[in-house]
Amino acid sequence: MSDDARQPAHLSASVSDHAPIEKLHEFASRLAVQVDSAQCEIGEAREILKDAIDRLMPAFTAQRSGDAQPVISPSRREAFSALQFQDISDQLLAHAQTRLNHLLSEVQTLTAALEPSAAREVGAEQLSRLVDAANDNLAGLDLTLLKPVANAHLRTGDAEFF
Amino acid sequence: MNSMKTILTVDDSPSIRQMLAYVLSSNGYHVLEAADGEQGLALAKANHVDLVLTDQNMPQMDGLALIKSLRALPQYAKTPIMMLTTESSQALKQQGRDAGATGWMVKPFDPEKLLEMLRRALGASGT
Repeated sequence: MSDDARQPAHLSASVSDHAPIEKLHEFASRLAVQVDSAQCEIGEAREILKDAIDRLMPAFTAQRSGDAQPVISPSRREAFSALQFQDISDQLLAHAQTRLNHLLSEVQTLTAALEPSAAREVGAEQLSRLVDAANDNLAGLDLTLLKPVANAHLRTGDAEFF
Repeated sequence: MNSMKTILTVDDSPSIRQMLAYVLSSNGYHVLEAADGEQGLALAKANHVDLVLTDQNMPQMDGLALIKSLRALPQYAKTPIMMLTTESSQALKQQGRDAGATGWMVKPFDPEKLLEMLRRALGASGT
């Protein structure tokens, strides 16, 4: 392609080149809103689980007048194991919230850099650096976030002495 | 002489603390409760505790840090400290062992197994 053929497109780029940046900004903004909503919904789910267990627990832990011996009946024993699902699921949900929080932070950094007022200063090189940094941070998430619950089922866990 | 043993439970989950308090107190133990390692350490310093039962993942101070802090205190150098956690990785268990934990139990716990483990730990410690 000759210089003459390239020049008109280059000269008219001042307006049209910003369109992809603005679209990218809009996309990043929408992504941030959705991630934030997902975080809130997870928070609500944690509250619901906590509330359910808070209401249920007194019924299991109350000493009943008919309890002759301080012995844990088989049915109550099973219930205690099962009721611990709240603690386990809460840890998993908290972990998902932390992951989303990291994602939101990266998206917000990108959104801020792509603000329409700042868009004119974002060049391809800077955009590439921003995306590379976000990619690196997200790629490292699995290394920095330890999965808290390996025993994500309701079989009772093992015990050992050191 | 009152031979009732005092067990300190440290867990940020109120429901787990409530379950533990029920299981332990209905089996003759005196129970102290803390919501994180810092609270647990403060309670341990202010009271005589025969056994500590702690979670790992907690705000402020986690279970491993609590164990290290307790082991640094002369009065808790030999006190049984059991981890009760959803964590079951060998690497973390090794860290627990290195920190001075006496044993490790993975949640969800079975009340009878837990009581049996505590009896063994208390018996071995002779406290």
